[in-house]
Amino acid sequence: MIHFFDFFSSKNSTFHSLPPEISEERRPWRNFLLTLFLLILATALSFLYFNISQNSANVALLYILALVLIARGTDGYFWGIFASLIGVVCVNFLFTYPYMALNFTLAGYPVTFLGMLAISFITSASTTYTKRQIQMLAERERLLVEAEKEKMRANLLRAISHDLRTPLTSIIGSGSSYLENGAFLNEGQKKELVRQIYEDSNWLLNMVENLLSVTRIQDGASNVNKSYESVEEVVAEAVLRLKKRLPDARIKVQVPEELIMLPMDAILIEQVLINLLENAVLHSKSQLPISCFVVRENDFVIFHVRDYGIGIAQERLQTIFDGTPYTGNTSADSSRGMGIGLSICKTIITAHKGQIGVSPCKQGTDFYFSLPDDTGHGEESNAKDIKFH
Amino acid sequence: MNTKIYIVLIEDEKNICNFISTTLTAQGYKVSTAPNAKVGISLITSGCPDLILLDLGLPDMDGINVIREIRTWASIPIIVISARTQEKEKVLALDTGADDYITKPFGPSELMARIRTALRHSNSLHTDSLLTQRPYRAGDLVIDFEKRLVTLEGAPVHLTQIEFKIVSLLAQNSGKVITYDSIISKVWGPYADDNNRILRVNMANIRRKLEKNPAEPHYIFTEIGIGYRMAEEG
Repeated sequence: MIHFFDFFSSKNSTFHSLPPEISEERRPWRNFLLTLFLLILATALSFLYFNISQNSANVALLYILALVLIARGTDGYFWGIFASLIGVVCVNFLFTYPYMALNFTLAGYPVTFLGMLAISFITSASTTYTKRQIQMLAERERLLVEAEKEKMRANLLRAISHDLRTPLTSIIGSGSSYLENGAFLNEGQKKELVRQIYEDSNWLLNMVENLLSVTRIQDGASNVNKSYESVEEVVAEAVLRLKKRLPDARIKVQVPEELIMLPMDAILIEQVLINLLENAVLHSKSQLPISCFVVRENDFVIFHVRDYGIGIAQERLQTIFDGTPYTGNTSADSSRGMGIGLSICKTIITAHKGQIGVSPCKQGTDFYFSLPDDTGHGEESNAKDIKFH
Repeated sequence: MNTKIYIVLIEDEKNICNFISTTLTAQGYKVSTAPNAKVGISLITSGCPDLILLDLGLPDMDGINVIREIRTWASIPIIVISARTQEKEKVLALDTGADDYITKPFGPSELMARIRTALRHSNSLHTDSLLTQRPYRAGDLVIDFEKRLVTLEGAPVHLTQIEFKIVSLLAQNSGKVITYDSIISKVWGPYADDNNRILRVNMANIRRKLEKNPAEPHYIFTEIGIGYRMAEEG
């Protein structure tokens, strides 16, 4: 046994310089320790068994069992083959006559040796193959998810470049016209140019805030920074912020009498509400004030933004949340910004495990989204998040 | 000539610096600008301004450290300029000793309002705080701190002890945002649970008593992730 340890510890330092197998590099110690542990266990059991029965035939079996386990449990071929060599030496050294001495001239010994080598080799090969297969499958899965994300990103980018060009053109145009022709313009015209710049940059700001909110969602679907927030506060702030930007907006707000607290990233939900409200105010040509209301339905809380305007074409409704720029026969301006805004809304709501939808009404359109309400559950576990995220 | 109010602006973004100092000068303030924390602190120590506008993202030093340094020797009002989506930083700045914050992008009118509020509060500190004696009035809401009486359109509103404490704390600091933590420690004491659900529940009750529509508040506004702000008097 002492030789055993000497052998290992002296060789130990060279193990790391071996060419790495697939993932051996990542956990050489785990492989080494497992091999060591199983070999010692096999040796100990063999000793016990040998002392009781004086029969060395089954000792080899114990080692073979250890070999199979080592080959299965470690990465690559190296440890299996290495263990089989040790095993052969051990059997020879400890359990065959003459004891405590090496004698390779025993009859049938090469057979034992080759047998153990073959077993460990085959087991290692098959397990390594399976492991590679699993790794490849996982890799393929990951690539698919990545490709999906990439597609979403590309769609978003396309929508953005489509939507940003208009206001930028207007800002650059107004700015340069002011600078170059300022002397020939009267006060009113100058003011008009600056007002246009102001309006368009405000619109750009909104777009940038939308894009920023997307960066708050890391790793796609299920990773938002949630904390318990009161629904009425989020709705109130969304309406307030929108009114700051669009002072003429007419919005009727209604929340339930009871206080509803939901786990959410409030900044993101606020962004969704602002986007929906802004679309309704700017594009729907609503006759009555936009109505924003919240209702509780079983395990969900549903937020509605309802306008009483011109409505949206049926074929447009299908793809309205997809983020693809709409190329229908309505004027380009009416769809400006809706594409990105709504696809971001969908991303945010999906990340909250909620649902977003739209339904046409007799007059106007009803956009709504739901958030799951787990009040009563998980409140304790979320207590630490409540403080502020 | 009466002396102008002196403001030090620490901001590294040149365009924003220009825009703010132009606005302030046009409104009759005297402004000095500093492109980094080092110059800013030396301006403050030499000039003793009436108010400091501080951008949190400075090239040479974290804005939070500037607040800490100034607060070791002066109580000059500090208004922090920060970007949106950094709630944690805002809360940290307020709890470190900043008086208020303003979020980029902001318009001149909002900036002026914040500056007036901060100056008013610092004046009331210097003149031995008569603010707490005088009733707070905003729209139809009157809060008489001495009589512990809240009236809305002339009719008394019944608030619980805790609710009154919260409302008067916000009213005494009207126009300024008060963080969740600072409300909790001032109302429930320093050892209170920092779980702010209880605060939300109380706020919801207050809102139902003071506001006609809790989703369209006129008196108490929420700054999501940060705290509450009571409407300015007037």
